[in-house]
Amino acid sequence: MPTAALTADRSRKRPFWTMERRDSLAGYLFIAPQLCGIVLFVLIPLGLVVWYSLHEWNVLAGTFRFVGDANYKKLAADPALPEVLGATAIFSAGLVVFNLSLALLLAILVNQKLRGITVFRTIFFSPVVVSLVAWTIVWNFLLQANGGINGLLQVIGVTGPNWLRSPPTAMASVIVVQVFKNVGLNMVLFLAALQGVPRELYEAARVDGASRWTQFHAITVPLISPTILLTMIITIVGSLQVFAQIAVLTQGGPGMSTTVLVYYLYQQAFQFHRFGYGATISILLFLIVAVLTFAQWQMRKRIVFYEN
Amino acid sequence: MKTESSPNDISPRARVALYGLLCVLAIPFVFPTWWMVTSSVKPISDIFAFPPELIPSRFDWSTYAEVFKLQPFAQQYWNSCYIAAIVTVGTMAVSSMAGYAFARIKFPGANLIFMVVLLGLLIPSEVTIVPLFQMFLKWGLVNTHWPLILVPIFGAPSVFATFVMRQFFIALPVELEEAARVDGLSRFGIFWQIALPLAKPALAAVAIFTFLHSWNLYLEPIVFLTTPGNFTLPQALTQYVDVYQGPMWNTQLAAATLTALPVLVVFIFAQRQFIEGLAHTGLKG
Amino acid sequence: MKLFDLRLAALAAGIALPLAAVPAIAQDIRMAIWSANEAHLKLFNEIAAAYTAQHPEVKVSFDSLPFDGYTTTLTTQIAGGNAPDLAWILETTAGDFVSSGALSPLKATFEGVADYNLADVTESALSLWTADGEIYAYPFSTSPFGMFVNNDVIKAAGQQTPAELIAAGEWTWDKAEAINTAVAAAGKQGLIVRDFDYKVWDNLASIWNGWGASPWSADGKTCTFTEQPMVDAMSFIHKAIFTDKAIPGPGVTADFFAGDAAMTITQISRASLLPKENPFNWDLVPLPSGPAGEYAVIGQAGIGVFASGKNPAVAADFLAFFSNPDNAKKLAKFFPPPRSSLLNAEVLGAANPLLSATQIENVVIKGISTGKVKPGHAGFAEIQQTARAALDALWVADADVPAVLKSVCDRIQPML
Repeated sequence: MPTAALTADRSRKRPFWTMERRDSLAGYLFIAPQLCGIVLFVLIPLGLVVWYSLHEWNVLAGTFRFVGDANYKKLAADPALPEVLGATAIFSAGLVVFNLSLALLLAILVNQKLRGITVFRTIFFSPVVVSLVAWTIVWNFLLQANGGINGLLQVIGVTGPNWLRSPPTAMASVIVVQVFKNVGLNMVLFLAALQGVPRELYEAARVDGASRWTQFHAITVPLISPTILLTMIITIVGSLQVFAQIAVLTQGGPGMSTTVLVYYLYQQAFQFHRFGYGATISILLFLIVAVLTFAQWQMRKRIVFYEN
Repeated sequence: MKTESSPNDISPRARVALYGLLCVLAIPFVFPTWWMVTSSVKPISDIFAFPPELIPSRFDWSTYAEVFKLQPFAQQYWNSCYIAAIVTVGTMAVSSMAGYAFARIKFPGANLIFMVVLLGLLIPSEVTIVPLFQMFLKWGLVNTHWPLILVPIFGAPSVFATFVMRQFFIALPVELEEAARVDGLSRFGIFWQIALPLAKPALAAVAIFTFLHSWNLYLEPIVFLTTPGNFTLPQALTQYVDVYQGPMWNTQLAAATLTALPVLVVFIFAQRQFIEGLAHTGLKG
Repeated sequence: MKLFDLRLAALAAGIALPLAAVPAIAQDIRMAIWSANEAHLKLFNEIAAAYTAQHPEVKVSFDSLPFDGYTTTLTTQIAGGNAPDLAWILETTAGDFVSSGALSPLKATFEGVADYNLADVTESALSLWTADGEIYAYPFSTSPFGMFVNNDVIKAAGQQTPAELIAAGEWTWDKAEAINTAVAAAGKQGLIVRDFDYKVWDNLASIWNGWGASPWSADGKTCTFTEQPMVDAMSFIHKAIFTDKAIPGPGVTADFFAGDAAMTITQISRASLLPKENPFNWDLVPLPSGPAGEYAVIGQAGIGVFASGKNPAVAADFLAFFSNPDNAKKLAKFFPPPRSSLLNAEVLGAANPLLSATQIENVVIKGISTGKVKPGHAGFAEIQQTARAALDALWVADADVPAVLKSVCDRIQPML
C-alpha cells in the first residue's frame, strides 16, 4: 500500500505502465480463467434458462413456442407447489439443525484429550470419502422393513418402523442418511474453530466459578459463531441441491412427502419432458438459494459476535 | 457439556462415559460400511437374512469377478480417478490465482467481479444442466469427459475453492510480500514464490474438497455420458441390474466396496494431513 | 482444343464413374437400445453387417444406454438435437412417442419390401404402435407375463401345486391366494409381483386384468380406477397384503429366485434367473383366472425411427430389413416375436431351452396370441408418478380402498 501511495504522489512524467496499472493488469489476468468459466458455464447457461422459461418446449414433438409468462403463472398455480415447498423447507431445516448440532457435539467430543481419540475422529469423518451413491445404496438396503437397521433394533428387542414407507420416517431417513454422510466435514471445521479459542478464557471463567454450560454458551458459542454461520450457509445451500439420495431412497414418496424442489425440477424436465417448465422451477430454486444466502449474510452482523 | 479439558480434569468415571458415548455414536458411521463389505461376499439369499448376519457364514467371491465381467469396471475406475485428478490440479491452479487476486490485488471492479463469481456458489447444477448439455453438444463434446473436467475447473464448483483461497490469503501478513516487492519480484513472482508456498494448508483443503466433489459427481455423468466405457464410478454402480432392471444386489455391493475401500484406506493412512489440512484454512471465519 | 475436350471428358468420367458406383454418400445410422448383453449385440451386429453387405454406403451402430433412466437419456439427446436414428421404446412410453409426431411412419416402407409379409405381424401386437391406420414402430419383443412357482415351498406348506389345480380346472386367484396365505403362515413369502415394489403400479395389471379392470377407458380419456372391477381387484390385493400376508408388504425385500417365496409374476425371460446350484422344483404356469375369466398380459418393446434423425428413409429401410421374416426368426431367440408364423413350439422352444413344451404352449404362445398389453398412455411418466403418489395411501393396513382410488382418479383425470 505505501508503495502504491508513493507512486501516486510522483508527478506527471510517469510511464504508462505504472505500478498501479501493472497490478490491475495482473489482477485481471489472475482472475481471467475463473471469470471466463463463470461467464461461459454459469452466466450464459443462466441466461438461457431464463429464455427457456418463457417458452413451451415439448422435446418429443420438437416444438419450442414463446409463451411469455405462462410458465410462471402455471408455477404460481401449481397445486403440487405448496407440498413441494413444504417438503423442501422441512428437509432443509431438519438437515441444518441436525447436521450442525451433531457436528458440534462430535467436534467437542473429539476435542477431548483421550487416548485413541484419532480413531473416533477417523470414523466420524470416514463416510465423507465414501462415494455418495454407494453410501445411499447401502442405506437403501438397511432401511427396508426387513433390513439391517430393524435387524439391529430387533436384537435389542425393538420392532422398528417401515422407514421409507411412511411420510415422517421417510423424511427423517433421507435427512439422517445425508447428515451421517457429510457431518464429518462440519465436525472438522468446528474442531478447528474450537482449537482456536484461547484457553485462558476458560481458565479465567473457571476461576470465576462458571459452570461448564455457562462456559459453553458464554465463551465457546460466541467465539466460534463465524464458523457456525459459514457452515450454516454451506449446509443450507447444499441441502437445496440434494438429489441422488432422494432418487435412490424414496423417489419423492411416499405420496409427495420427500419431493423437494430439486427433485421436482428433475421430474418435470427430464421425466415429463417439460424443459420450459423445468427452467421456470430452476429460476425459483435459484431465487430461494440467493435470498436465503443474502439473508444469512445480513444476519451475520447481528449473530456473529466477533470477526477477525 | 464439556468444551475444553486437559487429561487430568477428566475423572475415570467421566472417561468411561465418554468412551461409551463415542462408541454408540460411531455405530451409524461404521455399520453401513461394515454391512456393505460383508454383504458383498454373501450368497444373495443371506443378504436378506433377518436379523442380518454381522459375520458372513457362507462366502461367495464370484460377485467380484462378475463386477468386471458385466461392465468395463477397470476402465470406469480409471475414468473416475483421472478425471478427479485433473479436476483437482486444475481447480487448485484456477482458484489459487483468482483467490489471490481477490484478496491481495487492487483493481477496478474487483468487488463487483467477486460478487458475480460468488453467484456460482448459489446455482445448483440441476439448474444449468440443460443449457450446458446443449453447449457441449454444439462443440461435439457429449459422451466425452470434457464436460466433467471443464465445468468443475472453471465453472460453479470451483467458486467455493476460490472463496477458501481468498479467505486464506486475506489473513496472510502483508509484510512478506512487500519485502519481495522491494526485491523487484513481479506480481506472479510474489504469488508463486511467496504466497503459494505459504498456502499449503488451504490448498490441501481445496484439493480434498475438489477431489471428493468430482469423485461423487452423479447427475452430470448420467446426462453427458452414454457408453459404458466412458462411465464414471457412481454412474456405473447403478448399472448392476439385469436386462429387466432387476437389481443384482450382491454384485452391486461388491462394486460399491471396490469403489469405497481404496479411498478409505488412503484416508486412514493420511487422515492427519487430511483433517488438519481442512482445519487450518481461512474457513474459521 | 480437342485435346482439352478430351481431357475434360476424361476428368468428368473420372468423377462420374465413382459416383455411379456409390449412388449416395456414406450413411451412419445409430440405434439406441437398453441391452448391453453380448449375445444380443453379436446378433444385432451380424444383421447390420448383412445389411451393409447389400448397402455398402450404410453403416449401422448400436448404442447401449443404461436401462435405468433410458427414456430420460433418450429425451435429453433429442432435446439437445442429437436424436438417434432408431431407438427401442418401452410399451409404457409408446403413447408419448406415437402421439408426439417424433416418429416416422413406417407402413409404406414395410409394404414396399418384397417378402416382408406385414400381415404376419399380429394386429394385437401392433395395436399399441398404430395411430390412424399408420404404423410407428415394430414391436420386436412381445413378452408375456407368467407365474413362476416354487413347488417345494408350496408342498412344504401342505398345499396343492398349481399344476394339480390346472389339471383339475381350479387354477383361480382365490385358490392361489389360499396357497400363498398358507405358505406365508408357514414362514416363507407368498406371491411376489416382481418389479412392482409398491412404486411401479402398472405391473399390477398382471393381477387386475383378471377382474377385467383397467386404469382408464379404451380411448384413454376417462379414469376408471373408481369402477367396480378395479375396486374389487385392488381390495383383493390389499387384503392379500395386509390381512392374509400372502404378498410381502411394502419395504419387505424377498427374492423368488433365491427360493424365498411360493410364486412370482414376471416375464418369461426371467427364467434365466432360476438358480443353477441347489435348484428347487419350479414350474411356469399361466396367470390364474379371475372373476372375469382367463386372461393374459404382455409387455412390449418396439423399435421406432425418429423423424428428426439425419436420414429417416434409410433408417426405416434398415428397420424393414432388421424385422423381415428371416431376421425376425433370429431375433426370436431372445425376444418373443410378434409374427404369427413364429409363434410355434419349435421356434419358441429353441429360444427358451429351460421351458417345457407345455409351458411354451400354455404360457408363451397363448399369452402372446391372447394377451393384452400393459397399460400405456401419452404423458405416461407423469401419470405414473402422480398415481404412484396417490396410491401410496393404499399401502397401509387400514386404507379405505374406494376412497384412495377416487383420489387417484381426481389427480390423474386432468392428465388424460
